[in-house]
Amino acid sequence: MTTDELLAFAESLARISAAGGGPKAYASHLAGRCRGAVLVEDAEWHHLALAGAGERSVPPSARDLIRQASRDDEGFARAQLPDGGHVLAYPMRAGDSDLGWLVCLGLDGASGELAPLLRLTASAIAVDLVREAGGAKGRRRSFWERLLSGSYDDAGAARDDAAARGVTIASSYVAVAVEAEGMDEGAAARQLSDVRKLCLAHLHHQSGETVTIDRAAGFVFLIPAPLPVDAQNVALAASMLPKHAVKAKLDVILVGGVGSRAADILDTARSVDEAREALVIVRRLFGGGRVGAWEDLGLYPLLHRGATRDELQAFAQRTLEPLRAYDEKNHTELLRTLALYFSVRQNVKTASERLNVHRHTVFYRLRQIAEICNRDLDSAHDQLALRAALAIDALLSPAHTPS
Amino acid sequence: MNKRDLARLVKESNVRFLRMQFVDIFGSTKNVVIPVSELDRALDGKVTFDGGSIAGFVRSEEVDMMLKPDLSTFAVYPWTLDGETEGRLICDIVQADGESFEGCPRTTLKRAISDAREMGFTLSTWVEAEFYLFQRDEDGRPLLDGNERGSYFDFSPSDVGEHARRHMVATLEAMGFHVASAHHEHGPGQHEIDFKSADVLTTADNVVTLRNVVKHIALERDLHATFMPKPLGDGAGNALHIEFMLREGERNAFADEGGDRGLSPTALYFIGGLLAHAPAITAVANPTVNSYKRLVPFWDAPVLTVWSERSANSMIRIPSQRGEQTRIELRSPDGSCNPYLTLAVVLAAGLDGIRNELLPGQPLAGSTYELSERLRAERGIRELPHSLREALVELDHDGVVRGALGDHIYHAFHEAKAAEYERYRRAVHPWELNEYLALQ
Repeated sequence: MTTDELLAFAESLARISAAGGGPKAYASHLAGRCRGAVLVEDAEWHHLALAGAGERSVPPSARDLIRQASRDDEGFARAQLPDGGHVLAYPMRAGDSDLGWLVCLGLDGASGELAPLLRLTASAIAVDLVREAGGAKGRRRSFWERLLSGSYDDAGAARDDAAARGVTIASSYVAVAVEAEGMDEGAAARQLSDVRKLCLAHLHHQSGETVTIDRAAGFVFLIPAPLPVDAQNVALAASMLPKHAVKAKLDVILVGGVGSRAADILDTARSVDEAREALVIVRRLFGGGRVGAWEDLGLYPLLHRGATRDELQAFAQRTLEPLRAYDEKNHTELLRTLALYFSVRQNVKTASERLNVHRHTVFYRLRQIAEICNRDLDSAHDQLALRAALAIDALLSPAHTPS
Repeated sequence: MNKRDLARLVKESNVRFLRMQFVDIFGSTKNVVIPVSELDRALDGKVTFDGGSIAGFVRSEEVDMMLKPDLSTFAVYPWTLDGETEGRLICDIVQADGESFEGCPRTTLKRAISDAREMGFTLSTWVEAEFYLFQRDEDGRPLLDGNERGSYFDFSPSDVGEHARRHMVATLEAMGFHVASAHHEHGPGQHEIDFKSADVLTTADNVVTLRNVVKHIALERDLHATFMPKPLGDGAGNALHIEFMLREGERNAFADEGGDRGLSPTALYFIGGLLAHAPAITAVANPTVNSYKRLVPFWDAPVLTVWSERSANSMIRIPSQRGEQTRIELRSPDGSCNPYLTLAVVLAAGLDGIRNELLPGQPLAGSTYELSERLRAERGIRELPHSLREALVELDHDGVVRGALGDHIYHAFHEAKAAEYERYRRAVHPWELNEYLALQ
């Protein structure tokens, strides 16, 4: 093939592009030149286009052909059909992304001249696919970036803009930030892609689509959570991600954080901030291999960000309220028992004497406290949260403020 | 055990008659009695019966059914009938051509077990069966006003049913069953017998055997035993609590020392599956009109789709043991259920939870009876059906539970239970007469 012929082919591809492009148009053009069938499939082996099949028997997918084909140094895959016809295929790529395969089938064997045409066509289709995906993706990305940067004044405006951009949004979300540690430099892109797939497989809700936002060493996922229980389940599912990664042999260590549920769409940015903050705290305090929920980290987020008096009071209120409510309803003294238990250095015998109850009663109450507060009293971290809440309550609550 | 071993055992035990047992879709025990001279034919699965006369097997093409005995279930009854020793074999029901019959509850459970095995799991179960013992009047009718005033774990002499209960336990043990414990329950004349762990099929067989033995011994002692879910309006109901342990190879698949509350993701998914399918499971696990008189907020009966580590009135409770002893307890089934079908749908629901990674939210602390409407809504907690009618509607809409039953049993069960509810709806009950007869 001469240089002029090659240039002419490239110009014809440009004309197809100018006319709107599309895999089918490129495939038809190439089929006319190779006098064989041309099949286009995406990276998931989904059918995109078929041209020039005529009477030929074309397999429903080129997946098995490609997998069994021999590869040359330039990336071409060559195989033979059962009827003797030859197959020549070339991957469609854009940067590091695999977009699928362009496959010529039923060739008579003289594929030397076809190779550069196949390669040019694969590039043209790849540009087309990226442009196509980039349009929708770009519009979506733009919406979420605007939402998370606080560009919308009210939820209605956010919903209107989402609808205009073709983005379907759930009523509320929970954010999960995940990063991968220990990645192999050479395989980082593939490992991140695996991490993304793993997270999406385990973080989902039937009511809507999970949103993925790319970050440098990981991702932020926004998972629909119509009810508070859905947020609990997201935190639970996220906490299992490091184990899933080990089981899937991803060769990375996951670390992550989960924000609290954003009841309003505009509140999603806060959930993302909390998730990222939780990730930082978890990494510093516990190392990798763990995903922690911001709401379960107790005092640490307040220490990390330097909390205000109001935030401290809110923390104490949030932490102790379940015990207060239980005491009030059942005329018990669990809150007093907890405070006393800590004040006597967790000595059950002394606590029982001060409370005038049997020590078994103290044990029983402590189990009740742990269950009601959803805390493990043997955990140093949970103890710190409860001790701090009691101290803040004593120092800052209006009932204790000197008049 | 092979056929030769069994024949030898039958001879050594001096068995004269053999009861070939099976259950209909409602869990009622049926049997065909054969003289021991027909043993070879029975062991070859050649004993036939008229399927048309058994509830749930009613299609004309299912008239000729055959009984395929499970040799491992052979047991000798420790009592005699007219001086003759009886043995029993529990059977699967097969069609005349030897193909398995979709309407056989035992086969239905085996299908669920096979699904679990394909996913790499085997299931062990424990059951706690509650029942009442009532004295009889001169005509043999049960006296519901009670023969004693015992209560939970009471010790003799107030527990006058203790002798009967002890006799029942001794009988079960003589038949080779492993009874873990027995005690008085909350209600007057109410008792509980707990089996040790067994594989899930054996557990279902054991429940059927337990019911037969309890009723037989009670009759011998001129008492009336009932597993009716709620025989006394102001007393505790009869539950059939079931504890589950899933094994993956040698490992307890529910245990994870580093997991949330010592529970593995598999345990949480299993719980999530049970909660997600709870309303439809209720139709099978609580299959009578009377079942719904038990599912009210009294006597620790579950009424909501919640799980808890400690609350006795949650539908699912996690007993405190962890590690290799980690289990999940389902507290909603009652004494009227077909144990084969109940275990089949429960297993299917749990496996669906594992397949689809259904999570259950956080466990509930405290009594579920005090949950506010707001908290229920936030946690996605549903009420268990209030009636058999509601439960059947839930069953209609649950493909997993329906799928576990199979088309044949689902349709036969649904038709029979809808008719049962309709009969109840049309009846005028004593309460209504008492309440409204004097209305102006």
